[in-house]
Amino acid sequence: MVANAKNIQPPTHKGNKQARKPRPQKERRPRRIWLHVYPKDIWVPAEYGETLWAALYKADMELDSDCGGIGNCGKCKIKILSVVGPPTSAEKGLLDKVELEQGIRLACRTKAKRDLAISTEKTDTELDYLKILTTSHVLRSRYIPISQLEPLIERRPVTLPTESQNGKISDLNWVRMGLGAEYSDLQASIHCLRTLPQMLKKTKFSGVAVLHNNSLIAWQEPEKSKHGYGLVFDLGTSTIVGKLINLSNGSEAAVDSCLNRQRWHGSDVISRLNYVKQNPRGLDFLHNLLVNDLNNITKHLLKTAGLKKEDILIAVAAGNTTMQHFLLNLPPHGIAEAPFIPAVTDGLIVNAADVGLELNLSALLYTMPTKSGYIGGDLISFVLNSGIAEQKDEVILGLDLGTNVEIFLGNGKRLLTCSAAAGPALEGARISSGMIAKAGALEGVRIEEGQLHYRVIGNIKPKGICGSGLVDLVAVLLHCGVIDPEGLIRPTQKAEYQDLNSRVIKRSYCYDFLIASEEEGFYGRPIYLTQKDVRELQLAKGAVAAGVHTLMDELGIGFEDISHVYLAGALGNYIDPISTLRIGLLPGINVKLIKSLGNTASLGASMVLLSKKYWQMAKDVVNFMEHVELSYRHDFNQYFVQHMDFPEENIW
Amino acid sequence: MSDFKALSEAVNKGDTKTALVEAQKALDAGSSAEEILNKGLITAMNEVGDKFSKGLLFVPQMLRSAKTMQECTKLLQPFFQEGDVLSKGKVLIGTVKGDLHDIGKNLVSMMLEGAGFTITDMGVDVSPEKFVEKTREVKPDIIALSALLSTTMPAMAQTIEALQKAGLRDKAKVMIGGAPVTEKYAQQINADSYASDAGSAVNKAKALLGIS
Repeated sequence: MVANAKNIQPPTHKGNKQARKPRPQKERRPRRIWLHVYPKDIWVPAEYGETLWAALYKADMELDSDCGGIGNCGKCKIKILSVVGPPTSAEKGLLDKVELEQGIRLACRTKAKRDLAISTEKTDTELDYLKILTTSHVLRSRYIPISQLEPLIERRPVTLPTESQNGKISDLNWVRMGLGAEYSDLQASIHCLRTLPQMLKKTKFSGVAVLHNNSLIAWQEPEKSKHGYGLVFDLGTSTIVGKLINLSNGSEAAVDSCLNRQRWHGSDVISRLNYVKQNPRGLDFLHNLLVNDLNNITKHLLKTAGLKKEDILIAVAAGNTTMQHFLLNLPPHGIAEAPFIPAVTDGLIVNAADVGLELNLSALLYTMPTKSGYIGGDLISFVLNSGIAEQKDEVILGLDLGTNVEIFLGNGKRLLTCSAAAGPALEGARISSGMIAKAGALEGVRIEEGQLHYRVIGNIKPKGICGSGLVDLVAVLLHCGVIDPEGLIRPTQKAEYQDLNSRVIKRSYCYDFLIASEEEGFYGRPIYLTQKDVRELQLAKGAVAAGVHTLMDELGIGFEDISHVYLAGALGNYIDPISTLRIGLLPGINVKLIKSLGNTASLGASMVLLSKKYWQMAKDVVNFMEHVELSYRHDFNQYFVQHMDFPEENIW
Repeated sequence: MSDFKALSEAVNKGDTKTALVEAQKALDAGSSAEEILNKGLITAMNEVGDKFSKGLLFVPQMLRSAKTMQECTKLLQPFFQEGDVLSKGKVLIGTVKGDLHDIGKNLVSMMLEGAGFTITDMGVDVSPEKFVEKTREVKPDIIALSALLSTTMPAMAQTIEALQKAGLRDKAKVMIGGAPVTEKYAQQINADSYASDAGSAVNKAKALLGIS
């Protein structure tokens, strides 16, 4: 991975600067700066004047960031161990006094001008603790029995008479005849034809014809062909998951995942769209990063299963509309601003090699159909998983929680969908101590006998708080009376929770909640839930609740009419349903009706891979589903404001 | 003279019923409408804006107070006299082209209105051309631009450029705001002021026009 990463040079944010005039000779500067990076204890080279961010990036080191290195988010903290210079104005704004004194700086604002020792305060083992959701929970109704598998590619064992070698008939015609009359107009991919004569000879005319629709895409040796395999990809904005699927029985043969490397250019879709808008080569660059990630995952998957890249002839990818544009290297600019027009919404079938995927040269890549700029292939996958469109009796509500929350509601009679901009709070961004779900993230909170108990990923001291932890913590504090229904943090009046008041601390005009003291925190710094953090969560949950209400009104139903609530994605999987109800993220629903379906994007892609029926259904769903654009609706705004408050009632 | 404490408290709480009763009481007791507006309502709204900036209250509470203020102003309307200084200035406000976010901009509108400004709200997805056209028509003292997406921020710069080209840039002050917007960006695109939230927007607007 390191080697690949080095080949990609990011275009600069500001475009090409004019070449500077050579300086006078006497100002001799060292040609190269070295950064001694702890705790990895490695040396990283940097150009003079380059930011530490850029240098660490080229060395493939992990740094947190939401903004993509433009000095806005304050997440790429590093500690300067050697002599530290004065902070920049951006750093003064984003780091607190204690941090500045400790030599904490922002990698993206610090320029390498002399050799430096720095600490990224990270260990190699961290990536192992990274929580990426790969499992999907298949509803019983969604399970495809082996007898009903109808994969996108067909593998047909054929034994041809060897007399074709009399020279009267071409190899392709010979295969056509061997397959039977219905294949008289069979087409063939150019790569397949290039190897066909040789492969026929090698297999002694007894092999497996791999067919895609009416095209021969490979002739394989029979022993290879006991099982065909296909790939599915979940193109998440923050994480990417790949699965190797056995086409003969539908089982998962291997699973791999990684952090989406595009996150260097912003943690959310909007920042990446902005990056593409501002950099002429930005799209190519993000496309390459993604394809690189997919190829690395593919290599790991194939290695696990003992396969070669030539063995893979089919892949299906599902992601949000922007990610699918990045994969196909299509200009996504229209999605960036109203009226949010993507280049294409259709499900596409393209040559995997054209996209840059390192599979068999004849391999095909399917991308899921999308509904609109913000209702992507991942949501269509989710809809397929839920089985919503195939029945008319029960009303199903589905939510894919994230920076953009996609919601669908209805059944086979009428199906509505919308996308609500919840902001990044649910993913731990724009929260003062927020982080993604990896080692050190506080992910769950419980109160027992008046004391708070935390669950931290990796069982280490907490470094920050991730989305599910934030929802849990606020729910618990509402319960204890430390947060009032309007969202204000204040000392609780409830006698049984008086102990918590020692953590309710007035730092400026308002109170903050001390999650971990200096001693309790991983970095020896206190971690707070600030008043502003609570406000961010109020915005997020208000938007989600308002989206659900708007769809319910449009469909003319109430909560009591909803039979099932399905949650998709990592947050949906780890979040505590009771906490979602307590903070009003999901309003007034029986908690037993809430079920997480896990990684629905990869599951939907698998369903398509394994059954042509579901590919057709995906396309039908897109046509059937009605998109409700919330931005244009006043009722959404009213609900939004109304649901920024937390529910009064204590459901525990 | 009355210090309008009860009225101020009612506006702070967003308790319209009590506020209307208190405003009526003040009128009955002989206070002038202008006095009630300036010393009662506007002072209260300043407090609300301040609390919002500090995080002590949030959007629903601020909106409630702003609505209370509006109702009270309606009650006072017939009692204003000629020569009363009712407007602190004219503000033209809108969310820029390509951006459909409404709520933040509406909060700023309401707070400015609550502080005594006259507002012309152009809504969302407003093109530079429309801003120019309306500026000619309304002749505002301040043009306030909102953007909530980093992708639509450049439309703020385009709007300022369009005003420049139309020869209107020096006829009004431009202030900008929205989640991704920064003070630095305001300087970069040659805006006159940046406000981080609806509460501080009032102070910035006043500072721009040199009023307190």
